[in-house]
Amino acid sequence: MPILSLKNVSKKYGPVQALSDISFDVPAGSVFGVLGPNGSGKTTLLGIVTDVLKADTGSFTLFDKAPTGRERRQIGTLLETPNFYHYLSGYKNLEIAAAIKHRDKEDIGRVLDICGLTQRQHSPFKTYSLGMKQRLALASVLLGDPDVLILDEPTNGLDPSGIAEVRSLVRKLADSGKTIILASHLLDEVEKVCTHVAIIRSGKLLLSGAVNEVISRNDFVELSAADNNALKAALLQYPGCTNAEVSGEIVKAFFAVPPDAAAINSYCAQRGIWLNHLQRRKKSLETAFLEITNHATS
Amino acid sequence: MKQIIYTEWLKVKTYRTFWAMLLLALIIIPAANFLGADKLSGQQFKQVSKMFGNPFSFPDIWLTMASMNSYMSLLFGLLLIILVTNEYTYRTNRQNVIDGWERRDFVYAKLFWLLAISVTTLLVATISATLVGVIYGEKSFSLEGYQYMLYYFLQLNVMLTIALLISVLVKRAGLAIVLFIAYNIMVDQLLSSVLKKYVGAIGGLLPLQSGDEILPWPMFGKMIGSDNQYDTYVYVTVMFAYITLGIYLVFRKILKSDL
Repeated sequence: MPILSLKNVSKKYGPVQALSDISFDVPAGSVFGVLGPNGSGKTTLLGIVTDVLKADTGSFTLFDKAPTGRERRQIGTLLETPNFYHYLSGYKNLEIAAAIKHRDKEDIGRVLDICGLTQRQHSPFKTYSLGMKQRLALASVLLGDPDVLILDEPTNGLDPSGIAEVRSLVRKLADSGKTIILASHLLDEVEKVCTHVAIIRSGKLLLSGAVNEVISRNDFVELSAADNNALKAALLQYPGCTNAEVSGEIVKAFFAVPPDAAAINSYCAQRGIWLNHLQRRKKSLETAFLEITNHATS
Repeated sequence: MKQIIYTEWLKVKTYRTFWAMLLLALIIIPAANFLGADKLSGQQFKQVSKMFGNPFSFPDIWLTMASMNSYMSLLFGLLLIILVTNEYTYRTNRQNVIDGWERRDFVYAKLFWLLAISVTTLLVATISATLVGVIYGEKSFSLEGYQYMLYYFLQLNVMLTIALLISVLVKRAGLAIVLFIAYNIMVDQLLSSVLKKYVGAIGGLLPLQSGDEILPWPMFGKMIGSDNQYDTYVYVTVMFAYITLGIYLVFRKILKSDL
C-alpha cells in the first residue's frame, strides 16, 4: 500500500504552471526525497498533499484512502515555515497541536527534549530564535510518534550543529522504519538517507522511483601516480574504462561496470606505474541531479 | 465540536489582548446603560417622561437599552476580526489544517466565537438592562418588549458575520479593521440614507440598517412615527438572510481557495 499516491496533479498560479501532471507513489517504509531547485514546485506539491492548497486537476490518496483530516492526523508535517501563535509559549503551542492531532499531551515533554527546547519551553514563541522556531516545528512533527513524516526543508534556519542534529534525527527515524517524505534543495541533506526520489524542475516531474534504479550513479576511481599523464594513458586502455581525465593532482577514471580496485592496482603495477593514491568513489547525488536537470533543460 | 472549542480555548486562555478587549467591550454596556439612565433621569427629563413614558421602566427599558447598545457593538466586531486575522498573520490557519483539521472545522471554530461573543453580550446586556430597569424604572420587572433585545442580538450577529467575512477575505488585521469600521460608521448608513431618499423604504434593508429600523430611540421613534417602513418581520427575515449569506460566503472562501 503506498502511503501517498499522486495522480496527474496540476496546479497553476495565474499564468505560472506551478505543477504539471505529477504522478508518483511513495511506498511505505521509504525515505522519499522530493528534490528540485528553489521554486521548482516542491512546497506546492506538499501543500496540495496537506490540503492547504487546492490542485486544479488530478487527485491523490493518503494511506490508500481519500485524504481527510483523519489521514493528516497520522502524519507529522513541517511545511515551509514554522507556524505558531506568537503570543503563546512553545509548550502551549504544542498543546494546541496535540489537541488537533488527537495526541496525548503527555508526549510534549518527550518531543521538547528530543529537540532541545526543554529549557525554553515556557518562553513565548515570539522570543525564539529562527533555529528554535524550526526546532519547535520539528517537535510538533514528532508529537505522538507518527509513522509518516513530511519534512519540507527541515534544516532551514539551523546552525551547523543544528543541521547535523536534524540529519542524525532523520536517519534515526528512517532506521526505525518510518516513512519520510523529505523535500529539499540541499542534496547532501538527502543523499545519505533517501531510498526513493522524485526530481521536479519547473513543476515537471523529471523522474521518480528507487534511487538506485532511476539515478545512474556509476562508481569511478580516483588515482594518482608520479606521472599522471602516463597513468591516464594506461587507464584508457584498461578493459571497461570509458573515460579518464587528469583533475589537479589526481586522475579520475570512469567505468562501464563497477571497477575492481585491486585489479586496477595490479594492472598499473604491471605497466610500471606505482600508485600513491587509489580510491573508489560514487558520483554524488548532486552531480547526478545536475546532469538530470541540465539534460532536461537542454 | 467539543474538540474544536477546546482547541480555541487553548488559543485564547492566556491571550491578554483578547481578554482585555472582551472585558472592555462588555464593561462598556452596563457603563453606558447606567450613565445614560443617570443623565436622563434628572428633573428636566421627568417632564418629558410624563408625555412619552419613562424609557427606563419596564417594558420600555428593553427597547431603550437595545437601542443604546446597538451603538456599541463595534468593539465585538474588532475582537472577532483579531481572533480570525491572527490565524492568517501567524499562518496557523494552514497549520491547523496540516495538523488534521478539516477546512470546515476552521470555519466552525470561528463561528463558535461569533456565537459565543453574541450570546455573552446578550446575557450581559440583559442583566444590565434588568438592573437599570429595577433601579431607575417605576414599574416591576417584565419580559414584555424583550423582543427588542433579540433584535439587538440579531443585529449584533449580522455585524459579527460582516466582521468574519471581511477577515477571511482581507486576511490582514489592519485593513480588515479599517474596512469594518468604515462600513459600520459610514458606508451602511450613507447608502441607506441615499437609497431611502431616492428609492424608498428599501434603503432600510441594508445589513446594519435593518436592525436600526426596528430599534428606534424610544422617544424619537414615537415622535417621528414609521410611515416609511416595512413590517418588523421583513427586517428580521432580511437580517437572517444576511447572516446566512455571509456564512455561506465564508465557507465558500475557506473551502475553495488556497490557505
